[in-house]
Amino acid sequence: MVFTNAVRRALRKARLTLAAYIILGVLYLAFPHYSQLIATLMFYMILAQAFNIFMGMTGYIDFGYVAFVAMGAYGMALAVESLYELGWASIIVGFLLAVALSVALASMVGAIALRLRGAYFAIATIGVNEGVRYLIEGANLVGGSEGVIIVRELRATFGRETANFIMTGLADLALLLIGITAVMITALILSTRVGYALQAIREDEDAARALGINVTRYKVMAFTISAGIGGLLGAANWALKGGYVEPAHVFNIHYTVEAIVMVMLGGPGTLLGPIIGGLFYGSMNYFLGVIKPGLQLLFLAPILLAVVVALPKGLMGYVRERVKDPRLRELLT
Amino acid sequence: MGEGLVVEGLESGYGEMQVLWGVSLRVNRASMTVVLGPNGAGKTTLLRTIMGINKPWKGKVIMEGEDVTFVPPHEKVARGMTLVPEGRRLFPELTVEENLLLGAYTRISTRSTAGYREALSQVYELFPRLRERRGQKAGTLSGGEQQMLAIGRALMSEPRILLLDEPSQGLAPKIAIQIIDLLSNLRRERGLTILLVEQNIAAALKNADYAYVMEQGVIIKEGERDKILHDESIRQAYLGL
Repeated sequence: MVFTNAVRRALRKARLTLAAYIILGVLYLAFPHYSQLIATLMFYMILAQAFNIFMGMTGYIDFGYVAFVAMGAYGMALAVESLYELGWASIIVGFLLAVALSVALASMVGAIALRLRGAYFAIATIGVNEGVRYLIEGANLVGGSEGVIIVRELRATFGRETANFIMTGLADLALLLIGITAVMITALILSTRVGYALQAIREDEDAARALGINVTRYKVMAFTISAGIGGLLGAANWALKGGYVEPAHVFNIHYTVEAIVMVMLGGPGTLLGPIIGGLFYGSMNYFLGVIKPGLQLLFLAPILLAVVVALPKGLMGYVRERVKDPRLRELLT
Repeated sequence: MGEGLVVEGLESGYGEMQVLWGVSLRVNRASMTVVLGPNGAGKTTLLRTIMGINKPWKGKVIMEGEDVTFVPPHEKVARGMTLVPEGRRLFPELTVEENLLLGAYTRISTRSTAGYREALSQVYELFPRLRERRGQKAGTLSGGEQQMLAIGRALMSEPRILLLDEPSQGLAPKIAIQIIDLLSNLRRERGLTILLVEQNIAAALKNADYAYVMEQGVIIKEGERDKILHDESIRQAYLGL
Protein backbone atom coordinates (compact mmCIF):
# COMPACT_ATOMS: atom_id res chain seq x y z
CA MET A 1 0.00 0.00 0.00
CA VAL A 2 2.67 2.43 1.09
CA PHE A 3 4.89 1.15 -1.65
CA THR A 4 2.25 1.49 -4.34
CA ASN A 5 1.66 5.07 -3.22
CA ALA A 6 5.30 5.85 -3.71
CA VAL A 7 5.23 4.16 -7.12
CA ARG A 8 2.18 6.17 -8.11
CA ARG A 9 3.86 9.42 -7.09
CA ALA A 10 7.01 8.39 -8.94
CA LEU A 11 5.04 7.57 -12.10
CA ARG A 12 3.38 10.96 -11.97
CA LYS A 13 6.74 12.69 -11.69
CA ALA A 14 8.20 10.57 -14.46
CA ARG A 15 5.55 11.19 -17.12
CA LEU A 16 7.62 13.44 -19.36
CA THR A 17 10.80 11.43 -18.97
CA LEU A 18 9.10 8.13 -19.73
CA ALA A 19 7.42 9.76 -22.71
CA ALA A 20 10.84 10.72 -24.04
CA TYR A 21 11.96 7.09 -24.01
CA ILE A 22 8.72 5.83 -25.53
CA ILE A 23 8.89 8.41 -28.32
CA LEU A 24 12.45 7.34 -29.04
CA GLY A 25 11.28 3.72 -29.12
CA VAL A 26 8.55 4.54 -31.63
CA LEU A 27 10.94 6.60 -33.78
CA TYR A 28 13.35 3.69 -33.69
CA LEU A 29 10.76 1.38 -35.23
CA ALA A 30 9.41 4.00 -37.64
CA PHE A 31 12.78 5.10 -39.03
CA PRO A 32 15.07 2.07 -39.13
CA HIS A 33 17.56 4.15 -41.08
CA TYR A 34 18.17 6.29 -37.99
CA SER A 35 17.99 3.45 -35.50
CA GLN A 36 21.69 3.69 -34.62
CA LEU A 37 21.48 7.42 -33.98
CA ILE A 38 18.54 6.77 -31.66
CA ALA A 39 20.41 4.00 -29.85
CA THR A 40 23.37 6.34 -29.40
CA LEU A 41 21.10 8.99 -27.94
CA MET A 42 19.67 6.44 -25.51
CA PHE A 43 23.19 5.44 -24.49
CA TYR A 44 24.01 9.01 -23.57
CA MET A 45 20.68 9.57 -21.81
CA ILE A 46 21.19 6.48 -19.66
CA LEU A 47 24.82 7.33 -18.95
CA ALA A 48 23.72 10.78 -17.75
CA GLN A 49 20.86 9.34 -15.69
CA ALA A 50 22.98 6.71 -14.01
CA PHE A 51 25.69 9.26 -13.23
CA ASN A 52 23.09 11.69 -11.95
CA ILE A 53 21.81 9.28 -9.33
CA PHE A 54 25.04 9.69 -7.44
CA MET A 55 26.71 12.88 -8.68
CA GLY A 56 23.55 14.88 -9.28
CA MET A 57 21.86 13.92 -6.05
CA THR A 58 24.79 14.06 -3.63
CA GLY A 59 27.06 16.58 -5.34
CA TYR A 60 30.03 14.21 -5.23
CA ILE A 61 31.94 13.91 -8.50
CA ASP A 62 33.25 10.45 -9.27
CA PHE A 63 35.96 10.74 -11.90
CA GLY A 64 36.38 6.98 -12.10
CA TYR A 65 32.73 6.31 -12.89
CA VAL A 66 33.39 4.71 -16.27
CA ALA A 67 35.02 1.76 -14.44
CA PHE A 68 31.55 0.65 -13.30
CA VAL A 69 30.23 0.73 -16.85
CA ALA A 70 33.30 -1.24 -17.89
CA MET A 71 32.68 -3.83 -15.17
CA GLY A 72 29.22 -4.35 -16.63
CA ALA A 73 30.64 -4.83 -20.10
CA TYR A 74 33.10 -7.41 -18.75
CA GLY A 75 30.32 -9.16 -16.83
CA MET A 76 28.31 -9.69 -19.99
CA ALA A 77 31.31 -10.62 -22.13
CA LEU A 78 32.62 -13.17 -19.63
CA ALA A 79 29.20 -14.74 -19.14
CA VAL A 80 28.68 -15.18 -22.87
CA GLU A 81 32.25 -16.35 -23.41
CA SER A 82 32.10 -19.10 -20.81
CA LEU A 83 28.39 -20.04 -20.79
CA TYR A 84 27.41 -19.64 -24.45
CA GLU A 85 26.32 -23.26 -24.57
CA LEU A 86 23.39 -22.30 -22.34
CA GLY A 87 21.98 -20.10 -25.10
CA TRP A 88 19.70 -17.31 -23.94
CA ALA A 89 20.41 -18.06 -20.32
CA SER A 90 24.00 -16.90 -20.83
CA ILE A 91 22.73 -13.43 -21.76
CA ILE A 92 20.50 -13.29 -18.69
CA VAL A 93 23.42 -14.40 -16.52
CA GLY A 94 25.45 -11.74 -18.32
CA PHE A 95 23.18 -8.94 -17.12
CA LEU A 96 23.19 -10.32 -13.57
CA LEU A 97 26.96 -10.64 -13.56
CA ALA A 98 27.23 -7.12 -14.97
CA VAL A 99 25.31 -5.70 -12.02
CA ALA A 100 27.18 -7.91 -9.54
CA LEU A 101 30.62 -6.84 -10.79
CA SER A 102 29.86 -3.13 -10.94
CA VAL A 103 28.20 -3.16 -7.52
CA ALA A 104 31.12 -5.12 -6.10
CA LEU A 105 33.63 -2.61 -7.43
CA ALA A 106 31.44 0.24 -6.20
CA SER A 107 31.34 -1.25 -2.72
CA MET A 108 35.11 -1.52 -2.62
CA VAL A 109 35.73 1.97 -3.98
CA GLY A 110 32.89 3.43 -1.90
CA ALA A 111 34.09 1.90 1.37
CA ILE A 112 37.30 3.88 1.03
CA ALA A 113 36.52 6.93 -1.08
CA LEU A 114 33.14 7.81 0.44
CA ARG A 115 34.94 8.66 3.68
CA LEU A 116 36.35 11.66 1.85
CA ARG A 117 34.59 14.88 1.00
CA GLY A 118 34.36 17.17 -2.01
CA ALA A 119 37.57 17.58 -3.95
CA TYR A 120 39.29 14.82 -1.96
CA PHE A 121 36.68 12.34 -3.08
CA ALA A 122 37.07 13.45 -6.69
CA ILE A 123 40.85 13.08 -6.52
CA ALA A 124 40.62 9.67 -4.87
CA THR A 125 38.38 8.36 -7.62
CA ILE A 126 40.41 9.72 -10.55
CA GLY A 127 42.69 6.70 -10.62
CA VAL A 128 40.03 4.01 -10.23
CA ASN A 129 39.35 3.43 -13.92
CA GLU A 130 43.05 3.59 -14.85
CA GLY A 131 43.96 1.35 -11.94
CA VAL A 132 41.52 -1.39 -12.87
CA ARG A 133 42.49 -1.10 -16.51
CA TYR A 134 46.20 -1.50 -15.83
CA LEU A 135 45.45 -4.36 -13.49
CA ILE A 136 43.64 -6.16 -16.29
CA GLU A 137 46.24 -5.32 -18.91
CA GLY A 138 49.34 -5.74 -16.76
CA ALA A 139 48.36 -8.97 -15.04
CA ASN A 140 46.88 -10.22 -18.29
CA LEU A 141 43.55 -10.96 -16.63
CA VAL A 142 40.38 -11.78 -18.58
CA GLY A 143 41.97 -11.32 -21.97
CA GLY A 144 44.49 -8.65 -20.95
CA SER A 145 44.87 -5.68 -23.26
CA GLU A 146 43.15 -7.51 -26.11
CA GLY A 147 39.92 -7.75 -24.18
CA VAL A 148 37.17 -10.27 -24.70
CA ILE A 149 35.56 -10.90 -28.09
CA ILE A 150 32.21 -12.66 -28.06
CA VAL A 151 31.01 -12.26 -31.64
CA ARG A 152 32.14 -15.79 -32.50
CA GLU A 153 30.41 -17.34 -29.48
CA LEU A 154 27.19 -15.51 -30.28
CA ARG A 155 27.26 -16.67 -33.89
CA ALA A 156 28.13 -20.24 -32.96
CA THR A 157 25.28 -20.48 -30.47
CA PHE A 158 22.49 -18.55 -32.11
CA GLY A 159 23.39 -18.65 -35.79
CA ARG A 160 24.40 -15.64 -37.84
CA GLU A 161 20.93 -14.14 -38.23
CA THR A 162 19.93 -14.32 -34.59
CA ALA A 163 23.36 -13.17 -33.45
CA ASN A 164 23.00 -10.08 -35.63
CA PHE A 165 19.59 -9.46 -34.14
CA ILE A 166 20.99 -9.78 -30.60
CA MET A 167 23.68 -7.25 -31.41
CA THR A 168 21.22 -4.73 -32.83
CA GLY A 169 17.53 -5.07 -32.01
CA LEU A 170 17.84 -6.94 -28.73
CA ALA A 171 20.68 -4.78 -27.41
CA ASP A 172 18.71 -1.66 -28.27
CA LEU A 173 15.58 -3.04 -26.61
CA ALA A 174 17.71 -3.71 -23.54
CA LEU A 175 18.88 -0.08 -23.66
CA LEU A 176 15.28 1.10 -23.73
CA LEU A 177 14.38 -1.05 -20.74
CA ILE A 178 17.47 0.06 -18.80
CA GLY A 179 16.57 3.68 -19.54
CA ILE A 180 13.06 3.17 -18.21
CA THR A 181 14.45 1.42 -15.14
CA ALA A 182 16.79 4.34 -14.50
CA VAL A 183 13.89 6.78 -14.82
CA MET A 184 11.75 4.85 -12.37
CA ILE A 185 14.54 4.46 -9.82
CA THR A 186 15.34 8.17 -9.99
CA ALA A 187 11.66 9.08 -9.69
CA LEU A 188 11.24 6.74 -6.72
CA ILE A 189 14.23 8.27 -4.97
CA LEU A 190 12.87 11.75 -5.59
CA SER A 191 9.42 10.90 -4.26
CA THR A 192 10.50 9.21 -1.04
CA ARG A 193 12.46 10.31 2.01
CA VAL A 194 15.64 9.00 0.37
CA GLY A 195 15.49 11.99 -1.97
CA TYR A 196 15.25 14.42 0.92
CA ALA A 197 18.19 12.78 2.64
CA LEU A 198 20.35 13.01 -0.50
CA GLN A 199 19.35 16.62 -1.04
CA ALA A 200 20.31 17.44 2.55
CA ILE A 201 23.67 15.72 2.03
CA ARG A 202 24.27 17.71 -1.14
CA GLU A 203 23.48 21.00 0.58
CA ASP A 204 25.34 20.41 3.83
CA GLU A 205 26.57 17.01 4.87
CA ASP A 206 27.48 17.96 8.44
CA ALA A 207 24.11 19.52 9.05
CA ALA A 208 22.41 16.46 7.61
CA ARG A 209 24.38 14.30 10.00
CA ALA A 210 23.49 16.48 12.96
CA LEU A 211 19.81 16.15 12.06
CA GLY A 212 19.92 12.40 12.30
CA ILE A 213 20.32 11.44 8.66
CA ASN A 214 22.47 8.35 8.23
CA VAL A 215 24.61 10.00 5.58
CA THR A 216 26.92 7.04 5.02
CA ARG A 217 24.03 4.72 4.29
CA TYR A 218 22.45 7.04 1.74
CA LYS A 219 25.73 7.87 0.04
CA VAL A 220 26.57 4.19 -0.32
CA MET A 221 23.04 3.51 -1.54
CA ALA A 222 23.19 6.17 -4.26
CA PHE A 223 26.74 5.19 -5.20
CA THR A 224 25.94 1.50 -5.72
CA ILE A 225 22.62 2.09 -7.49
CA SER A 226 24.37 4.49 -9.85
CA ALA A 227 27.12 1.92 -10.45
CA GLY A 228 24.62 -0.92 -10.98
CA ILE A 229 22.75 0.96 -13.70
CA GLY A 230 26.09 1.86 -15.27
CA GLY A 231 26.92 -1.85 -15.28
CA LEU A 232 23.72 -2.72 -17.11
CA LEU A 233 24.49 0.01 -19.62
CA GLY A 234 27.96 -1.38 -20.27
CA ALA A 235 26.60 -4.89 -20.67
CA ALA A 236 23.99 -3.86 -23.23
CA ASN A 237 25.75 -1.13 -25.14
CA TRP A 238 29.33 -2.30 -25.19
CA ALA A 239 29.48 -6.07 -24.76
CA LEU A 240 26.23 -7.10 -26.39
CA LYS A 241 25.95 -4.40 -29.02
CA GLY A 242 29.62 -4.23 -29.92
CA GLY A 243 30.34 -7.92 -29.53
CA TYR A 244 33.65 -7.24 -27.77
CA VAL A 245 35.15 -5.51 -24.76
CA GLU A 246 38.49 -3.78 -25.04
CA PRO A 247 40.07 -2.18 -21.96
CA ALA A 248 41.45 0.87 -23.79
CA HIS A 249 37.90 1.66 -24.86
CA VAL A 250 35.73 0.74 -21.89
CA PHE A 251 37.96 2.38 -19.25
CA ASN A 252 38.32 5.62 -21.18
CA ILE A 253 37.87 8.57 -18.81
CA HIS A 254 36.29 10.40 -21.72
CA TYR A 255 32.92 8.82 -20.89
CA THR A 256 33.06 10.09 -17.31
CA VAL A 257 33.75 13.60 -18.55
CA GLU A 258 30.84 13.35 -20.97
CA ALA A 259 28.59 12.23 -18.11
CA ILE A 260 29.65 15.22 -16.01
CA VAL A 261 28.96 17.63 -18.87
CA MET A 262 25.53 16.12 -19.62
CA VAL A 263 24.42 16.16 -15.99
CA MET A 264 25.66 19.71 -15.38
CA LEU A 265 24.05 20.90 -18.60
CA GLY A 266 20.67 19.33 -17.96
CA GLY A 267 20.45 20.01 -14.25
CA PRO A 268 21.96 17.88 -11.49
CA GLY A 269 19.61 16.06 -9.16
CA THR A 270 16.60 16.39 -11.45
CA LEU A 271 14.72 13.74 -13.35
CA LEU A 272 14.37 15.44 -16.71
CA GLY A 273 17.76 17.20 -16.67
CA PRO A 274 20.00 14.26 -17.57
CA ILE A 275 17.59 13.31 -20.35
CA ILE A 276 17.82 16.78 -21.86
CA GLY A 277 21.58 16.85 -21.32
CA GLY A 278 21.91 13.42 -22.93
CA LEU A 279 19.75 14.29 -25.92
CA PHE A 280 21.55 17.56 -26.49
CA TYR A 281 25.05 16.24 -26.04
CA GLY A 282 24.31 12.97 -27.84
CA SER A 283 22.99 14.66 -30.97
CA MET A 284 25.72 17.29 -30.95
CA ASN A 285 28.27 14.53 -30.62
CA TYR A 286 26.72 12.60 -33.49
CA PHE A 287 26.40 15.42 -35.98
CA LEU A 288 29.75 17.02 -35.23
CA GLY A 289 31.23 13.55 -35.45
CA VAL A 290 29.72 13.17 -38.90
CA ILE A 291 31.11 16.52 -40.07
CA LYS A 292 34.56 15.87 -38.74
CA PRO A 293 35.39 13.05 -36.34
CA GLY A 294 36.99 14.33 -33.14
CA LEU A 295 35.54 17.80 -33.53
CA GLN A 296 32.99 17.19 -30.76
CA LEU A 297 35.75 16.95 -28.15
CA LEU A 298 36.58 20.57 -28.80
CA PHE A 299 33.15 21.57 -27.58
CA LEU A 300 33.10 19.79 -24.21
CA ALA A 301 35.08 22.33 -22.22
CA PRO A 302 33.37 25.46 -23.62
CA ILE A 303 29.94 23.92 -22.97
CA LEU A 304 30.86 23.05 -19.41
CA LEU A 305 32.31 26.52 -18.81
CA ALA A 306 29.26 28.21 -20.26
CA VAL A 307 26.93 26.08 -18.15
CA VAL A 308 28.79 26.69 -14.92
CA VAL A 309 28.85 30.44 -15.52
CA ALA A 310 25.40 30.99 -17.01
CA LEU A 311 23.30 28.11 -15.70
CA PRO A 312 24.80 26.85 -12.47
CA LYS A 313 21.80 24.64 -11.85
CA GLY A 314 21.57 23.43 -15.42
CA LEU A 315 18.78 23.98 -17.92
CA MET A 316 16.20 22.36 -15.66
CA GLY A 317 17.18 24.44 -12.67
CA TYR A 318 16.92 27.58 -14.80
CA VAL A 319 13.48 26.69 -16.14
CA ARG A 320 12.11 25.51 -12.82
CA GLU A 321 12.99 28.75 -11.07
CA ARG A 322 10.90 30.62 -13.62
CA VAL A 323 7.87 28.35 -13.60
CA LYS A 324 5.37 29.27 -10.94
CA ASP A 325 2.48 26.95 -11.74
CA PRO A 326 2.79 24.00 -9.32
CA ARG A 327 1.39 21.45 -11.78
CA LEU A 328 3.86 22.46 -14.46
CA ARG A 329 6.62 22.43 -11.87
CA GLU A 330 5.80 18.87 -10.93
CA LEU A 331 5.88 17.86 -14.57
CA LEU A 332 9.29 19.48 -14.91
CA THR A 333 10.85 17.64 -11.99
CA MET B 1 18.17 16.10 40.01
CA GLY B 2 18.67 13.43 37.38
CA GLU B 3 21.57 13.36 35.01
CA GLY B 4 20.72 14.45 31.51
CA LEU B 5 24.13 14.21 29.94
CA VAL B 6 27.42 13.10 31.43
CA VAL B 7 30.79 13.30 29.71
CA GLU B 8 33.75 11.51 31.26
CA GLY B 9 37.37 12.02 30.28
CA LEU B 10 36.58 12.70 26.64
CA GLU B 11 39.51 12.83 24.24
CA SER B 12 39.29 13.53 20.55
CA GLY B 13 40.86 15.43 17.69
CA TYR B 14 41.56 15.52 13.99
CA GLY B 15 44.09 13.14 12.49
CA GLU B 16 47.31 13.52 14.49
CA MET B 17 46.17 16.61 16.32
CA GLN B 18 44.53 16.04 19.67
CA VAL B 19 42.05 18.74 20.64
CA LEU B 20 40.21 17.42 23.69
CA TRP B 21 42.43 16.24 26.53
CA GLY B 22 40.08 14.49 28.89
CA VAL B 23 37.01 16.67 29.25
CA SER B 24 34.47 15.76 31.92
CA LEU B 25 31.22 17.52 32.58
CA ARG B 26 27.66 16.83 33.65
CA VAL B 27 24.45 18.50 32.63
CA ASN B 28 21.51 17.96 34.94
CA ARG B 29 18.18 17.09 33.45
CA ALA B 30 16.14 20.17 32.52
CA SER B 31 19.02 22.52 33.22
CA MET B 32 21.01 24.87 31.07
CA THR B 33 24.75 24.48 31.18
CA VAL B 34 27.15 26.66 29.31
CA VAL B 35 30.72 26.01 28.19
CA LEU B 36 32.75 29.18 27.88
CA GLY B 37 36.19 29.64 26.43
CA PRO B 38 38.28 31.45 23.84
CA ASN B 39 38.57 30.53 20.19
CA GLY B 40 40.39 27.27 19.66
CA ALA B 41 39.63 25.94 23.13
CA GLY B 42 37.91 22.91 21.61
CA LYS B 43 34.31 23.86 22.34
CA THR B 44 33.00 22.96 18.89
CA THR B 45 35.01 19.73 18.88
CA LEU B 46 33.50 18.90 22.26
CA LEU B 47 29.95 19.18 20.95
CA ARG B 48 30.75 17.34 17.74
CA THR B 49 32.36 14.53 19.70
CA ILE B 50 29.44 14.27 22.11
CA MET B 51 27.15 14.05 19.09
CA GLY B 52 29.38 11.45 17.46
CA ILE B 53 30.18 13.45 14.32
CA ASN B 54 33.82 13.28 15.45
CA LYS B 55 34.85 9.90 16.77
CA PRO B 56 35.75 9.89 20.46
CA TRP B 57 39.28 8.58 21.08
CA LYS B 58 38.81 7.93 24.75
CA GLY B 59 36.26 8.56 27.44
CA LYS B 60 32.53 8.20 27.72
CA VAL B 61 29.33 9.96 26.74
CA ILE B 62 26.36 8.98 28.88
CA MET B 63 22.88 10.06 27.94
CA GLU B 64 20.26 9.73 30.68
CA GLY B 65 22.18 6.90 32.27
CA GLU B 66 22.92 5.05 29.05
CA ASP B 67 26.38 4.78 27.52
CA VAL B 68 26.12 6.23 24.01
CA THR B 69 29.82 6.92 23.35
CA PHE B 70 29.92 5.06 20.07
CA VAL B 71 26.30 5.42 19.02
CA PRO B 72 26.27 7.07 15.56
CA PRO B 73 24.73 10.55 15.26
CA HIS B 74 21.56 9.44 13.48
CA GLU B 75 20.88 6.99 16.32
CA LYS B 76 21.46 9.69 18.90
CA VAL B 77 18.93 11.95 17.21
CA ALA B 78 16.42 9.11 17.25
CA ARG B 79 17.11 8.66 20.97
CA GLY B 80 16.51 12.33 21.74
CA MET B 81 19.74 14.33 21.37
CA THR B 82 20.15 16.97 18.69
CA LEU B 83 22.90 19.44 17.80
CA VAL B 84 22.40 22.92 16.40
CA PRO B 85 25.72 23.19 14.57
CA GLU B 86 28.03 26.17 14.51
CA GLY B 87 27.14 28.76 11.90
CA ARG B 88 23.57 27.41 11.73
CA ARG B 89 24.21 25.20 8.70
CA LEU B 90 20.81 25.58 7.13
CA PHE B 91 20.03 24.19 3.70
CA PRO B 92 19.95 27.57 1.92
CA GLU B 93 18.34 26.37 -1.29
CA LEU B 94 15.45 24.67 0.50
CA THR B 95 12.43 26.48 1.87
CA VAL B 96 11.89 27.18 5.55
CA GLU B 97 9.36 24.40 5.79
CA GLU B 98 11.55 21.90 3.95
CA ASN B 99 14.36 22.69 6.37
CA LEU B 100 12.02 22.02 9.26
CA LEU B 101 10.79 18.77 7.77
CA LEU B 102 14.37 17.57 7.39
CA GLY B 103 14.76 18.20 11.10
CA ALA B 104 12.08 15.58 11.67
CA TYR B 105 13.90 13.12 9.44
CA THR B 106 14.17 10.39 12.05
CA ARG B 107 10.45 10.66 12.74
CA ILE B 108 8.89 10.89 9.32
CA SER B 109 8.05 7.81 7.36
CA THR B 110 6.38 7.30 4.05
CA ARG B 111 3.58 5.86 6.11
CA SER B 112 2.28 8.89 7.95
CA THR B 113 2.70 12.58 8.42
CA ALA B 114 1.37 12.45 11.98
CA GLY B 115 4.89 12.22 13.38
CA TYR B 116 5.88 15.70 12.35
CA ARG B 117 2.63 17.67 11.93
CA GLU B 118 2.41 18.18 15.67
CA ALA B 119 6.07 19.17 15.98
CA LEU B 120 5.73 21.53 13.03
CA SER B 121 2.81 23.41 14.52
CA GLN B 122 4.66 23.68 17.82
CA VAL B 123 7.68 25.19 16.12
CA TYR B 124 5.46 27.64 14.25
CA GLU B 125 3.81 28.57 17.52
CA LEU B 126 7.22 29.25 19.01
CA PHE B 127 8.43 31.20 15.97
CA PRO B 128 5.47 32.82 14.21
CA ARG B 129 7.98 34.48 11.87
CA LEU B 130 8.90 31.13 10.43
CA ARG B 131 5.27 30.39 9.64
CA GLU B 132 5.05 33.68 7.72
CA ARG B 133 8.11 32.72 5.73
CA ARG B 134 7.48 29.02 5.35
CA GLY B 135 7.70 29.05 1.54
CA GLN B 136 10.77 31.25 1.36
CA LYS B 137 14.27 29.90 0.74
CA ALA B 138 16.22 29.62 3.97
CA GLY B 139 19.16 31.48 2.47
CA THR B 140 17.07 34.63 2.11
CA LEU B 141 16.22 34.95 5.80
CA SER B 142 17.87 37.49 8.11
CA GLY B 143 20.48 36.31 10.59
CA GLY B 144 18.09 36.18 13.52
CA GLU B 145 15.47 34.35 11.51
CA GLN B 146 18.07 31.88 10.32
CA GLN B 147 19.04 31.15 13.90
CA MET B 148 15.37 30.68 14.77
CA LEU B 149 15.10 28.25 11.89
CA ALA B 150 18.20 26.36 13.01
CA ILE B 151 16.75 25.97 16.50
CA GLY B 152 13.29 25.17 15.14
CA ARG B 153 14.78 22.55 12.86
CA ALA B 154 16.55 20.93 15.80
CA LEU B 155 13.31 20.95 17.83
CA MET B 156 11.53 19.07 15.03
CA SER B 157 13.11 15.83 16.20
CA GLU B 158 11.58 16.53 19.64
CA PRO B 159 14.83 16.16 21.55
CA ARG B 160 15.17 15.93 25.30
CA ILE B 161 18.79 17.05 25.09
CA LEU B 162 19.73 19.98 22.91
CA LEU B 163 23.34 20.92 22.12
CA LEU B 164 23.93 24.38 20.68
CA ASP B 165 27.15 25.68 19.16
CA GLU B 166 27.28 29.46 19.47
CA PRO B 167 23.70 30.30 18.63
CA SER B 168 24.39 34.02 19.06
CA GLN B 169 27.21 34.09 16.50
CA GLY B 170 26.83 36.89 14.01
CA LEU B 171 23.70 38.30 15.56
CA ALA B 172 23.01 41.81 16.83
CA PRO B 173 23.43 41.87 20.64
CA LYS B 174 19.74 42.41 21.22
CA ILE B 175 18.74 39.47 19.03
CA ALA B 176 21.43 37.30 20.59
CA ILE B 177 19.89 37.93 24.01
CA GLN B 178 16.42 37.15 22.65
CA ILE B 179 17.62 33.81 21.33
CA ILE B 180 19.25 32.83 24.59
CA ASP B 181 16.18 33.94 26.57
CA LEU B 182 14.12 31.75 24.34
CA LEU B 183 16.33 28.76 25.05
CA SER B 184 15.92 29.44 28.72
CA ASN B 185 12.14 29.39 28.28
CA LEU B 186 12.32 26.11 26.42
CA ARG B 187 14.19 24.58 29.29
CA ARG B 188 11.65 25.87 31.81
CA GLU B 189 8.50 25.03 29.88
CA ARG B 190 9.47 21.78 28.18
CA GLY B 191 12.07 20.48 30.56
CA LEU B 192 14.71 20.52 27.83
CA THR B 193 18.27 19.71 28.88
CA ILE B 194 20.52 22.26 27.22
CA LEU B 195 24.28 22.30 26.71
CA LEU B 196 25.38 25.56 25.20
CA VAL B 197 28.73 26.69 23.86
CA GLU B 198 29.02 30.46 23.75
CA GLN B 199 31.30 33.39 23.23
CA ASN B 200 28.59 35.86 24.16
CA ILE B 201 29.34 35.22 27.79
CA ALA B 202 27.20 37.89 29.38
CA ALA B 203 24.04 36.68 27.67
CA ALA B 204 24.84 33.02 28.24
CA LEU B 205 25.65 33.41 31.91
CA LYS B 206 22.50 35.38 32.56
CA ASN B 207 20.40 32.29 31.91
CA ALA B 208 22.66 29.38 32.68
CA ASP B 209 22.49 27.23 35.80
CA TYR B 210 26.03 26.01 35.65
CA ALA B 211 29.11 26.95 33.69
CA TYR B 212 32.36 25.36 32.61
CA VAL B 213 35.36 27.26 31.36
CA MET B 214 37.47 25.52 28.80
CA GLU B 215 40.97 26.34 27.58
CA GLN B 216 43.22 24.36 25.27
CA GLY B 217 41.12 21.25 25.39
CA VAL B 218 40.63 20.98 29.15
CA ILE B 219 38.13 22.31 31.68
CA ILE B 220 39.97 24.83 33.83
CA LYS B 221 37.10 26.02 35.98
CA GLU B 222 33.51 25.18 36.75
CA GLY B 223 30.76 26.29 39.05
CA GLU B 224 27.28 27.61 39.60
CA ARG B 225 26.46 30.62 37.54
CA ASP B 226 27.01 33.12 40.35
CA LYS B 227 30.38 31.69 41.26
CA ILE B 228 31.63 32.02 37.69
CA LEU B 229 30.03 35.40 37.28
CA HIS B 230 31.92 36.69 40.31
CA ASP B 231 35.20 34.94 39.69
CA GLU B 232 37.77 37.69 39.43
CA SER B 233 39.99 36.06 36.79
CA ILE B 234 37.04 35.19 34.60
CA ARG B 235 35.61 38.67 34.87
CA GLN B 236 38.91 40.06 33.68
CA ALA B 237 39.60 37.54 30.96
CA TYR B 238 36.18 37.10 29.43
CA LEU B 239 33.74 39.69 30.62
CA GLY B 240 35.99 42.69 30.30
CA LEU B 241 34.79 43.98 33.65
